[in-house]
Amino acid sequence: MSKEDFIIETQQLEKKYITDTVETTALAGVDLRIAKGEFVAVMGPSGCGKSTLLNILGLLDSPSGGSFRFLGQDISHASERQRAKIRKHNLGFVFQSFNLIDELTVEENIGLPLAYLGIPRAETEKRVKEAMERMGIAHRHAHFPQQLSGGQQQRVAIARATVSNPSLILADEPTGNLDSVHGREVMSLLSELNDAGTTVVMVTHSPSDAEYAHRIVNLFDGQIVTESLNARKHAAELL
Amino acid sequence: MLRNYFKTGFRNLVRQKVYSVINIAGLAAGIAACILIFLYVKDELSYDRHHAKADKIYRVTRDFVSNDGSVSLHLGHVAPPFGPLLEQDFPQIESIARLLQTSLLVENVEKQKTFREERIMFAEPAIFDIFDIPIIDGSRERALKEPFTLLLSNKLADKYFPGEEPVGQLLKLTSTSSARVTGVFQSLPDNSHFHPDILVAFNTLNDTAVYGAEQLRTNWGNNSFGTYMVINSEQEAENMQAQLPAFMDRHLGGTDHAGDRKPSDFSRLYLQKLTDIHLRSHLDSEMEANGDINTVMILAAVALVILLIACINYINLSTARYMSRAKEVGVRKVVGAEKHDLVFQFLSESILIALIATLLAVGITELCLPWLNEFTGKNIGSNIFTDRWLLGLTLLLPLLVGGLAGLYPAFYLSRFLPAMVLKGSLSNSSKNPLLRKTLVVVQFSISIILIIATGIMFRQLVYMQNKDLGFEAENVVILPTYTTLTPQFEAFKSELKKSALVEGVGRSLLIPSDRLLNSMGASVMKGDSMAQTSVTIKFVNVDHDLLDVFEVQLAAGRNFDRTRATDDTAAYILNNAAARMIGWQNPQEAIDQVFAYGGRKGRIIGVTEDFHFESLHDEISPMVYMLSPSNNYTNIAIRINGDTRQALAHIEQTWRQFLPGYPFEYSFLDQLYAETYKAERDKGVIFLIFSCIAILIACLGLFGLASYTTVQRTKEIGIRKVFGASVMRIVTLLSKDFLKLVLVANLLAWPIAWYAMRTWLNDFAYRIEMGTGIFLLAALLAFIISVVTISYQAVRAASANPVKSLRTE
Ligand SMILES: Nc1ncnc2c1ncn2[C@@H]1O[C@H](COP(=O)(O)OP(=O)(O)OP(=O)(O)O)[C@@H](O)[C@H]1O
Ligand SMILES: [Mg+2]
Repeated sequence: MSKEDFIIETQQLEKKYITDTVETTALAGVDLRIAKGEFVAVMGPSGCGKSTLLNILGLLDSPSGGSFRFLGQDISHASERQRAKIRKHNLGFVFQSFNLIDELTVEENIGLPLAYLGIPRAETEKRVKEAMERMGIAHRHAHFPQQLSGGQQQRVAIARATVSNPSLILADEPTGNLDSVHGREVMSLLSELNDAGTTVVMVTHSPSDAEYAHRIVNLFDGQIVTESLNARKHAAELL
Repeated sequence: MLRNYFKTGFRNLVRQKVYSVINIAGLAAGIAACILIFLYVKDELSYDRHHAKADKIYRVTRDFVSNDGSVSLHLGHVAPPFGPLLEQDFPQIESIARLLQTSLLVENVEKQKTFREERIMFAEPAIFDIFDIPIIDGSRERALKEPFTLLLSNKLADKYFPGEEPVGQLLKLTSTSSARVTGVFQSLPDNSHFHPDILVAFNTLNDTAVYGAEQLRTNWGNNSFGTYMVINSEQEAENMQAQLPAFMDRHLGGTDHAGDRKPSDFSRLYLQKLTDIHLRSHLDSEMEANGDINTVMILAAVALVILLIACINYINLSTARYMSRAKEVGVRKVVGAEKHDLVFQFLSESILIALIATLLAVGITELCLPWLNEFTGKNIGSNIFTDRWLLGLTLLLPLLVGGLAGLYPAFYLSRFLPAMVLKGSLSNSSKNPLLRKTLVVVQFSISIILIIATGIMFRQLVYMQNKDLGFEAENVVILPTYTTLTPQFEAFKSELKKSALVEGVGRSLLIPSDRLLNSMGASVMKGDSMAQTSVTIKFVNVDHDLLDVFEVQLAAGRNFDRTRATDDTAAYILNNAAARMIGWQNPQEAIDQVFAYGGRKGRIIGVTEDFHFESLHDEISPMVYMLSPSNNYTNIAIRINGDTRQALAHIEQTWRQFLPGYPFEYSFLDQLYAETYKAERDKGVIFLIFSCIAILIACLGLFGLASYTTVQRTKEIGIRKVFGASVMRIVTLLSKDFLKLVLVANLLAWPIAWYAMRTWLNDFAYRIEMGTGIFLLAALLAFIISVVTISYQAVRAASANPVKSLRTE
């Protein structure tokens, strides 16, 4: 694979949190490459640095050391301003706790990324509508987050993450707050997106969710301990 | 996008109803108070500026210097000869006019309408060249040119000649003379330092029955003529001012003065700018009660303080409110918001809310303006949309306040990496940042200072109202007296005394609460010859009964005696201050001493205990009482007892019997006295009201902040309760932080308040000791207010079911 085919490339990525007197090493040298179109699951015990890794990959946080290339561009020392620009155009996020804005309705929440991209109103309305239909929440368009079930909220979050057609979606335990039925729904949505060409990186504790990924990265104490290809998924794709 | 911002902003406002209401109401109240004060201050500053030549108009004032070099008197009016002499000696005077304000009974004989007019002004025609007084009826050319002609103000024209053409009509001014109305002028606006109702041709005074031409030319002692002039440049005015002492020496040379002093050593003239009269002139004689630049400054300061408190509040509450929106900021960043997007969002939201508050404030102002007008006796229009300054202020304020309030969250929150804000760790780590603490302390310090200031002002006022004046001011009715009454005064008196309700009747030239302005040279026996004393002694003509009517105590000697004819011209009663200052060890020593006053020689027959003839603003001045054989009295004082209404009825009936056609006008001595504190009282009340507003706003702020903090710590409270903390302990926990701030605020406020109030009290000759009580009281009040507000919130949070607070996430 040529360099340009990797959406993410990290070398010796480090993250240290310094609070008062204690220094916590959350990431201790992570080398990770993620190709375009891949679906990667990150797993590991609690506190091993999964969320930290995802936040850095998603440009929500800056690493303390190592190098980080995003779409071939070195951004380990990028300013928050530059990172904000890249986020806006390339990334979508899904969180365990949904992170919807309580004061905005379903459609307003979904339209937010487009608004920040400066996309005209008519176009926005069209794309929001499409996204809502895709996620099966069109009938709830005027509701506020609090009026929805957890599963519905997560679908709104996914709709919001995908409405701007990002090349990479980062999901931090997207099913963590959901029951198994709704969890499976969310996973198949992510899977569909991935089938359509979007790269997905997902943190999860659930082996069954990990089943949806091409590759599973196991993190322990801030380091990658094992990487395994998901045989079933590959087999399925070969068929 | 803007729509999206406003939606979020608005929905946030609705979600946090209590804070929103406190936030907006507090700011609105603050701005409203500020606009009201602004209108008041602006009106005070606008006095006399409507005249086209306002900046070139000067008034001549005159002061008198005692032998010891101190200024004993500074008058806003001068003697009649000065006007023409000034005009003759100083070519830089463009025009000059003399005005003599007096009160007369005016009668429309035909219609039998008689009123006492207090603001009649004899005026030279040049008054129209100096001031802008539009003539709305009659000839401008002829105005005030011929003797016994007059102009009426439009108000008075309706009073005397309703529905008739006033020009050409006659009005009777005194029992002997009438004057013809030649025109009607437009009354001067409220913001003018004088308001003549009738302008009478000045040359009417040439008539000997009225005043006399000779008097006008030679009476250097009658300093009651307002003398106004137009001088074209400030430079020329300064030149002229420098030459005024020489002018005095040139023209007053012939009049008698003490020893080897030049006339300019004992009396000086000054040029005073017209625009300084209302606020910066506190002379011993003024046409009307003036304002005071200090009051204006204090009020302006209060306005700024209120605005400051309201803004601090707004900023404080807003930032507290915004902290709970850390998650929103994080989410927005995640979905693509850049820093400038967030800055813009928070700024625009904050400014918009401030704008809403401002509009509300404008509404409040409109509602309160009539009240302010009634209270201040002003007639301020609500010209918010025509007044450039005010419009600017109301537009700028939300921008400024909203901007400041928005800046903090805009930059503070947007600075963080999204990963951090999303975790919500911010709101916990910065529960009470230094900035907010500082603001709370500032706000509370200001409130405490205001509480102390208000307290001290009121104690001083109460003190003045209750201070023993040294005589019985209660139950004394004061009437004016007319020359018609003089010959029949004894009969009038005995008729009055027929009622048991009337205890005594006396007459005097001045009544207590009047200013003592008149003095003459006094001499006492030194060795074998008479020597002039350096003590300035003010005189009051009284009749035999007056001191008894006032129940003035004698320290030595006796009162005037009808049976001793020599008392009429050769008897003096001093007050204790005069006796002491002249040099007698005790009052008894003064009795029977030879004493000459105004060149008239006699003996001291009595010394009174000191009492407050003037108001408590002034020290008790040395005084001499003497009889006036020519009946130079202006007031009748009647001591009544029993039922006031019946007594007044009896007095009025007697008045009508002796003085038919004369209006019956009475006042009560104690009320006249109280009026001398009216300015202070009004000032005190205004101060109290605005202090209350300030304190209220500060409390609102504290309440909001306390409840906000409590809400933030709801989870902590829940956990503490699960582990067994009592409600009391939780309340203490929550209050502790705030009470520390209140304590700091007190320590800051005390010295400032002490210094400010000491300065204020120094203006009073008789004043209270500040004491520590009021300081402790203010502290206590501040503590109580904060404990109550905090406790309310804390108890609510603490007594809630712990499960409820734990669920809040
Ligand atoms: N803001 C922070 N400040 C200090 N230390 C932090 C911070 N965030 C995370 N850490 C520490 O970094 C380490 C990794 O945390 P991280 O949130 O990435 O774990 P995680 O793998 O996502 O765990 P979980 O599965 O429980 O979500 C932990 O030891 C955590 O204590
Ligand atoms: Mg995690």
